[in-house]
Amino acid sequence: MENGALSQGEGKDPSGFLSEIIGNPVTVKLNSGVVYKGELQSVDGYMNIALEKTEEYINGVKKRSYGDAFVRGNNVMYISAD
Amino acid sequence: MASQLLPLELIDKCVGSRIWVVMKGDKEFAGTLVGFDDYVNMVLEDVTEFDYSGNHAKLKKILLNGNNICMLIPGGEGPVAATP
Amino acid sequence: MAEPGDESHVAEPLDLVRLLIDEVVCVKLRGDRELKGRLHAYDSHCNLVLGDVEELIYVVDDEDADDDQIRTVSRKSDMLFVRGDSVVLISPLAQS
Repeated sequence: MENGALSQGEGKDPSGFLSEIIGNPVTVKLNSGVVYKGELQSVDGYMNIALEKTEEYINGVKKRSYGDAFVRGNNVMYISAD
Repeated sequence: MASQLLPLELIDKCVGSRIWVVMKGDKEFAGTLVGFDDYVNMVLEDVTEFDYSGNHAKLKKILLNGNNICMLIPGGEGPVAATP
Repeated sequence: MAEPGDESHVAEPLDLVRLLIDEVVCVKLRGDRELKGRLHAYDSHCNLVLGDVEELIYVVDDEDADDDQIRTVSRKSDMLFVRGDSVVLISPLAQS
């Protein structure tokens, strides 16, 4: 009766995956459908995200860019490694 | 009684195989389950994201927030495979 | 994790917000709202206190159902409190 998360190795469970992609370009999709692409600086347990060189896409159209961006975790649907 | 399979044990058995994730909203994901945690945040590989409008997008590897997951279907390939 | 003596190190996402204290920031909120103002304070819930704030509200006029009928309503306040649960994004107001 082992917990799925605990039985996983590095890069397998969510925290392993995150440490694997820190510093890499990622795509963050929010529940609203808005997409942020940037370099992943850090993530915490709430899935709050700090991004660098961030670009904002709404309906697939680039709207804006932000140097740094903090995204509050409750809005995040997924983080994808580019 | 002793043979009861806990929900998370079922998900643990899916690690390494294909899984279909239905979100609370109008979205679904199909992919290979790489891992998950106690909140059912999941790491998925070779993912297809399905939109309400019938669009779909391919993603290599994602961390899916468990917060908005509604339903998990082991072995599922998403709505396309389900309705050929 | 945090490297002692390195104040600019972003070990966790909220460190980025800490670095924005006393800076002019852009805050995107749920419901197509946006705030621009000086960040005076924040906490772990992302409750914020902003000064010299301009609030922008994007309103879609459905009456003429032309796709891009988006109006912005703006208002100003000297100081306001933002409840963290409505925050979507916080960014320094430099290049945006």
